Amino acid sequence: MMPTEKAIEIGRELAERWSWRLETRQPEPTRLDVILTSPADLVPVAVALRVQRLGYLAAVTGLDRGPDGGTLELLYHFCHGAAVITLRLSVPRQGAVVPTLSDIIPSAESSEREIAEMFGVTFEGLRPAGYLYLPDEWPEATYPLRKDCTPPMLAGAVES
Amino acid sequence: MQETTRSELFTVPIGPQHPALKEPSHFRITVDGEIVTDAFVRLGYAHRGIEKAAESRNWVRNLYLFERVCGICSHIHATAYCLGVERLAGAEVPPRAQAIRVLVAELERIHSHLLWLGVAAHEAGFDTLFMYSWRDREAIMDVLEGLTGNRVNYSANVLGGVKNDVDDAQRGAILRAIDGLEGRSYHYLDVVTTDALFLQRTRGIGVMTRNQAEVMGAVGPTARASGVTRDVRVDAPYAAYDRYPVVRVVESAGDLEARFVVRMRELFECYRLIRYLLDNLPPGDLRGRMPRRIPEGETVSRVEAPRGELFYFLKSNGSDTPERIKVRTPTICNLTSVVKLVIGHQLADVPMILAGIDPCFSCNDRTVQLDEITGGSRIWTWDELRRNSREDGHGHRD
Repeated sequence: MMPTEKAIEIGRELAERWSWRLETRQPEPTRLDVILTSPADLVPVAVALRVQRLGYLAAVTGLDRGPDGGTLELLYHFCHGAAVITLRLSVPRQGAVVPTLSDIIPSAESSEREIAEMFGVTFEGLRPAGYLYLPDEWPEATYPLRKDCTPPMLAGAVES
Repeated sequence: MQETTRSELFTVPIGPQHPALKEPSHFRITVDGEIVTDAFVRLGYAHRGIEKAAESRNWVRNLYLFERVCGICSHIHATAYCLGVERLAGAEVPPRAQAIRVLVAELERIHSHLLWLGVAAHEAGFDTLFMYSWRDREAIMDVLEGLTGNRVNYSANVLGGVKNDVDDAQRGAILRAIDGLEGRSYHYLDVVTTDALFLQRTRGIGVMTRNQAEVMGAVGPTARASGVTRDVRVDAPYAAYDRYPVVRVVESAGDLEARFVVRMRELFECYRLIRYLLDNLPPGDLRGRMPRRIPEGETVSRVEAPRGELFYFLKSNGSDTPERIKVRTPTICNLTSVVKLVIGHQLADVPMILAGIDPCFSCNDRTVQLDEITGGSRIWTWDELRRNSREDGHGHRD
């Protein structure tokens, strides 16, 4: 297995110098963040990481920037040894459509279903199925991990 | 030859009540005669809203919340959380504390692997092995209780260090327990590799090639049984694993037998590491200084749980509560492989293949619970919930 610094270096070169020319950041020595500019970048960059054998898809994190910021962010974490290469993709809170990675990475399906249910992002190409986590009778267009989803049950959950 | 038409396929629902382990999950298995042709999984029966709840609790309280994600590997969740928060805060953790974290983590791995051995043996109809392995597991549970005061949620971690030291009496108790277990583990390794009836349920069943394991993103012993050399303790040493290196246990057969052998061989590695660690415990404090404020930032914390890589993503906005904490547990990675691997097997092999990954559904199901939507059923307020969880029959409150 190639050392961590080498993996980060190849990841950076892949993102910055190849045709998509993406911005990268290195917030920690073992982490490389690649800022994707549009959902169309996602599949080609993920394929490039696969072809270069740069890690496996360890997790997909959803972030809600809040109702004021107006965006959601998807973080695709690829791990290789100690290196974590994260593809960061910002999408609008309303009507976001992102291509699925499950055709090239089968394990992406469960992560994508989780994001779809919890944040309301549509994954294009994901085979239709019921909820993976939420109850069958869950109300439509209610995305629990969004910041403005504040169920009454949680109100006052933490006493001071 | 008669062609099998679509209408002759039969769908067998398994679960949500204990499909293999005593935890809820639902599988829809399509069979043609006895042969599985498709499988579909439904999770969420133990979804408790932990990621959402974390956003309304402060950094200290969240430690106790995340320790309760899983009842089997509670320590490793708390460790992943602590390591992440400490990195965000830039806190130094004393070497002795990190070593004790490793000690408890390896004891936990022993108890988890022995627990799994029993469950998997039970699925194979080998209840004698189940009872023996669970009896032996009690030795480790006693050690953990003696060390931390608790059998399950040991609560060994605090932000910045650990709570409990290891004294000579505890050291002796640990060494006695693992001396006894080591002999038993040799016996178990012998049984799972030579018992003819047992091998009929495991050898050549649920084979996952190295390539499949990599593509399906398998982690932990499930991946290592297929020759994938993935172990966070070795790849990205955390806590004190750089001072106490582990030897990665890898098998190449990729079948259920290999998954047994990997976990049994990992037990020996645990015993060796614990002995070495107890002989070389660094002196010093148990806790470092932990800043009150966690500065803004993001970090990733990865640890090797008994079932494989556990992944935490933590984001702080500089306030007293986290902006977001994402938990990705090992079972969700390995579950993909089950759904694909069972295809083509006998229906009777499904529980064994499922048990083979050592699934932990409470780990998987974390997030949200809204009560309004349950229609006619009664809604409990948080206060009621608290009252009901705290009061005993005599109206006593703590």
